[in-house]
Amino acid sequence: MKGLIKGLGVTLKSMTQKKVTYAYPDVPIEMPDRFRGIQHFDPEKCIVCNQCARICPTECITLTGKANPDPEKKGKVIDTYDINFEICILCDLCTEVCPTEAIVMTNNFELSTYSRDDLFKNLQWLNDNNQHIRKENNSAMPKGGAK
Amino acid sequence: MMHLLEESLTWTNFFIFLFWGVVMLLLILGFVTYAIYFERKVIGWMQLRIGPNRVGPLGLLQSVADVTKLLIKEDTIPRKAERELFILAPVITFIPSFVIIATIPFSDKLFNANLNVGLLYYVALSGISTIGIILGGWASNNKYALLGGMRSAAQMISYEVPLVISVIGVIMLTGSLNLHTIVDQQAGGFWHWYFLPQIIGFIIFVIAGVSELNRTPFDLPEAESELVAGYHVEYSGFRFAFFMLAEYVYVFAVASLITLLFLGGWHAPFGFLDFIPGLIWFLLKFSFIVFFLFWLRATLPRVRVDQLMGFGWKVLLPLALLNIFVTAIYMSIIS
Amino acid sequence: MLRTEELLLNVGPQHPSTHGVFRVIVKLDGEVIREAIPVMGYLHRGTEKLAEDLNYTQIIPYTDRLDYVSAMTNNYVLVNAVEKLMQLEIPERAEFLRVIVMELQRIASHMVWWGTYLLDIGAMSPFLYAFRDREIIINLFNELCGARLTYNYMRVGGVKWDAPEGWIEKVRDFVPYMRGKLKEYDNLVSGNEIFLARIKGIGKYDAATAMAYGLSGANLRCTGIQWDLRKNEPYSIYNRFDFDVPTREGGDCYDRYLLRLEEIVQSLRILEQAVEQFPAGDTMGKVPRVIRPPEGEVYAGIESPRGEIGCYIISRGKQEPYRLKFRRPSFVNLQILPKLLVGETMTNLITILGGIDIVVGEVDA
Repeated sequence: MKGLIKGLGVTLKSMTQKKVTYAYPDVPIEMPDRFRGIQHFDPEKCIVCNQCARICPTECITLTGKANPDPEKKGKVIDTYDINFEICILCDLCTEVCPTEAIVMTNNFELSTYSRDDLFKNLQWLNDNNQHIRKENNSAMPKGGAK
Repeated sequence: MMHLLEESLTWTNFFIFLFWGVVMLLLILGFVTYAIYFERKVIGWMQLRIGPNRVGPLGLLQSVADVTKLLIKEDTIPRKAERELFILAPVITFIPSFVIIATIPFSDKLFNANLNVGLLYYVALSGISTIGIILGGWASNNKYALLGGMRSAAQMISYEVPLVISVIGVIMLTGSLNLHTIVDQQAGGFWHWYFLPQIIGFIIFVIAGVSELNRTPFDLPEAESELVAGYHVEYSGFRFAFFMLAEYVYVFAVASLITLLFLGGWHAPFGFLDFIPGLIWFLLKFSFIVFFLFWLRATLPRVRVDQLMGFGWKVLLPLALLNIFVTAIYMSIIS
Repeated sequence: MLRTEELLLNVGPQHPSTHGVFRVIVKLDGEVIREAIPVMGYLHRGTEKLAEDLNYTQIIPYTDRLDYVSAMTNNYVLVNAVEKLMQLEIPERAEFLRVIVMELQRIASHMVWWGTYLLDIGAMSPFLYAFRDREIIINLFNELCGARLTYNYMRVGGVKWDAPEGWIEKVRDFVPYMRGKLKEYDNLVSGNEIFLARIKGIGKYDAATAMAYGLSGANLRCTGIQWDLRKNEPYSIYNRFDFDVPTREGGDCYDRYLLRLEEIVQSLRILEQAVEQFPAGDTMGKVPRVIRPPEGEVYAGIESPRGEIGCYIISRGKQEPYRLKFRRPSFVNLQILPKLLVGETMTNLITILGGIDIVVGEVDA
């Protein structure tokens, strides 16, 4: 009997405690800076080294490059860049190996769509996804700025 | 208007009674709607969350939304089920629960019927609901519904016995089965209320009442759906709602009975608070009992079936009988 | 005249409790179970086969998803095996971060177990209290590595992220908070007569059976055998911390219950000491750019909240393993279930299954 009474006391006390629920989606959730959300891609910085596509554990990044249109400059420029969000696990390895921080993660996580086709995001969408970009990225960019 | 009860039955009287009966039904349905809402709110607060708050202001229309959902669902009847019994079972479960409300007085001037055997009327009719449950389990043509129905029937029958016997102490102290008389004997202050001299009877009545209502910690018929489905597995839409409705109307009935039999009905706990009308006291005590039922549901785990039956027959029944003996001895010593 | 036969009941893959998709085919005689056959494999995702194509850093996100309730220990077991094979040295700060994170994960995992176990037994509220506390731990992890459940935090040679500003203080404040909460949970549940009646004497087995079936974790320690890999075969820097390994005699569900709550207390002790001794330094050791372990085989076993999780790697000197096998504690602990269930009632099936504490992601890999 005593155990029951003590238990009843605990629940009664918790009636007066602060509620721990969030009012999402009326109130957006504040994620810490390091949160791994949907990626943001900046085509200016990309040097088409293919590291991100190679490291991806689920092979969800496909990209093509083309020769730099400017005849003075060497190297490639990015032409298409797609991420298949049906299989992207937001593991952050692509940012970890990128030498120029062209692909970084943001703090957005709302990806729900009504059709699976909409989950195949292209370069334009990834570039437009530029809210809440992560500041601290821990990438392969050499410390002290890129070349 | 109570003089109408003593007159002979004319057409006018009949329609007046019918009108008040419908009013009572609407009141009960309103109670059920908001009891469900408050249950979800209270349990939510105890679990550090808010409970329903999106449908309507403060979530007040949540039960309305739920009932609407149940009404617009497809009404399925399994092909091999016995149609007549299948349709009849929820009705048989619900009707006694509503009919019992007729004898419950809410204050000394506000009552529906003044039966001299009010308590016996309650006991007799509440047993009929068990038939509805067995019928529901049988008519579903489903092994698991039958098993669940049998189990819940066993539970309800074995807890009816201590329920009734625990009240005999109160009847002995009062000398009458009339609910008005029982409450009038408890006038004058909370030390006259029967829960103090009849403390064992009170505890047994509360425990057996919770079990009759199929609420946690005795909610095996509902939680059986974990492993073996309960008696209402084949019911969908409004027929299912009938079973739930019956449960909540019984909550109303049992809570009112506890208030009347043990907590002094509409009398104030202290003499100087008499200016507050009796109905308010009744409602306050009634609300406290209902809150206590929600509180139990939020806190306690479920009892196992064999432990449930063992507890009912081996602990509650002997204690209830002991209560009768102690009351008898006390009464013979006093007089 | 009276014909009885056994009823074949399917406690289906859609299980009401949160253990996952797991099926038990039960032969019932009235109320009593005569035979129980567990059927697993509904969550098999081919992790070990996929690993043959991926290099070790790429496998780490997959290990997160094995025992998703306690992902840090899974990360660690793989990384530890590779480090053993390559004989790498890990910097101090990284080791401390690993220990802090693994002990926090142990507490979080036991909270999930506690909440869901009580939900199976019928009490609704402890589930929410447990998840409130777990939410604090998960938010700590969110600040540390950016994810709430699948952390991808450890790397071969260290950890990926250093602790942000103020994080260690938050961990330090968490310890007394959790201690207070454990007292509250004791009041709520551990003395509750209904709960004790449900749980005592159920699912009993003795030490010899436990050893024969290869059980580990709380399932082994509840029979009196004191075996904890953190003390008997120390890994990482556990030999620097002062903590007990609680055991109980008896071997029934109640002992396992009390034992897991005791383990939380011991984890809090380790956390206190680790936070106090937290050094400065690097978070990543000297690791070659491309991780290519030498040829050989290695087995590394650590103490996860469920028991001994082990990683066995056969390496042919390439970037990918030739064969990667996980010794998953839930899979091994589950083997005792048919034996324990014979002669029990259906209600006790749920109680026993909850007491073994399985996660189906780990059972099926």
